[in-house]
Amino acid sequence: MSKPIQCSLCEEAATVHLSQVVHGKVTKVHLCEACAQKGGATDPAVFQLADALAAATPAPTLTCPQCGFTDLDFRKRGRLGCPACWETFGEALDGLLLKVQHEPAHVGRAPAGAVPVAQLRRRLDAARLEMTAAVAGEDFEAAARLRDEIATLERQLAS
Amino acid sequence: MSVEDILAAESELTHLLGGQQAVVLSTRIRLARNLEGLPFPGWAKLPQRKETSDRCVTALEGLPKFRRGHVVRMGELGDRDRAVLVERHLVSKELAAGKSGAAVISRDQTVSVMVNEEDHLRIQVVKAGWHLRGTWHIAEQLDDALGGVLKMAFSDRLGYLTACPTNVGTGLRASAMVHLPGLCLAGHMDKVTRALNQDGLAVRGWLGEGTEAAGNVFQISNQQTLGLSEDAILKHLGGWIKHVVEQEWNARRKLAQEEGEKFVDRLARSLGVLRSARLLTSSEAMNMLSHLRLACDMGCLPEERRHLVDRLMIEGQPAHVQARAGQELDSDGRDRRRAAVVREALKDFPEVGPPTA
Repeated sequence: MSKPIQCSLCEEAATVHLSQVVHGKVTKVHLCEACAQKGGATDPAVFQLADALAAATPAPTLTCPQCGFTDLDFRKRGRLGCPACWETFGEALDGLLLKVQHEPAHVGRAPAGAVPVAQLRRRLDAARLEMTAAVAGEDFEAAARLRDEIATLERQLAS
Repeated sequence: MSVEDILAAESELTHLLGGQQAVVLSTRIRLARNLEGLPFPGWAKLPQRKETSDRCVTALEGLPKFRRGHVVRMGELGDRDRAVLVERHLVSKELAAGKSGAAVISRDQTVSVMVNEEDHLRIQVVKAGWHLRGTWHIAEQLDDALGGVLKMAFSDRLGYLTACPTNVGTGLRASAMVHLPGLCLAGHMDKVTRALNQDGLAVRGWLGEGTEAAGNVFQISNQQTLGLSEDAILKHLGGWIKHVVEQEWNARRKLAQEEGEKFVDRLARSLGVLRSARLLTSSEAMNMLSHLRLACDMGCLPEERRHLVDRLMIEGQPAHVQARAGQELDSDGRDRRRAAVVREALKDFPEVGPPTA
């Protein structure tokens, strides 16, 4: 028996075979059951991805020093290799993040003990603006509350 | 092995009585978390996955929440047992498909933490009915407790780091499982789905991603996880669910009013079929049970019978039917067995009356 064809997206054996003809050019995509279901076998994105895979197989330009994962691996899997990859591919991922998440930075919980510096800084900037507005509007109660918050934030950031 | 124990136990989703469970079947919170310094499961080598599994399972077993709970390792389970866990929403299809995944499940089955799924840890909390804040509160406490014993991968700018960019930030997916027969019968479901999609919410079928909406049951969840606080995500979902529930009730009342006897007839016929059928496919059962659930909500059947309908929806799924039978069954065998279970459960059900709600 011949060796089974590998899925274009992972390493499982492909069981779903798709062909698409665009401008007289035939593109073939082989998918395993799971990837076919996940991507929706009729999803044009699957073909775009296949085009991208077929068009360019250059050498990787970025490799994670921690786990050896490359930008090409990411293109193939759509998942990263390890937490440190976020550092390695940081800038390269920013565009994608904006597309899928619409926001560039985290706002929310942090593990106990972690000081979320960027978040505190953003809040500090906002609080300063709010205080200026409160003073201008003669809302001194709010201004006093914001002054205390700013002091606390500055203390947290200094530590 | 404890899948049998899991099946035998009274659980949140199969045995909870009363409560406000019309329309919203259950509320679910999922948090994606990863350990610092270890590759994500999809890229990790077997020894690394084993290390992840050992560290996570040990940490989880030590938490009070999982006292007298269950630890299930996918590599040690047969196909049917894994399918039972998927049907009960305790593990995902993806986890069940691999060999190195595990899940730690609380005794009452409200909390299950998947280990080595797409991320090292997937914390899941589920409550019957609509309890967004309460469900979140449990997940938050568990996250704090786990964060106390395991060092989580966290970036100041990007928040909790995950394998997939669609989960980074809060790692939070909040969802409601909703039963929308009114909107489906009235033909409004496409419109509702489009509106939800446009405002950043996903609508999926009964078993999550890529599954069909059997029995008019849908899962509605947030998509964005970055740049919104947990609180903002919950508020956004909560506002929409409230709206969908209102729309569903409007559609139901309108249908009942406009169709009159035809509305009651449809529900009564479903009870008739469920009570007499000798062969019942899974999707037929789901669709007819959906009618019974609607009848309970509308006062056509006593409301206290609704939990039995919910239980049959879960226990009528293929792996559950086989597990109860204690043997592998072919498709006809399953349909026969399912029909018998449903007939037995509904034998002293009262007749369907006119709506009172």
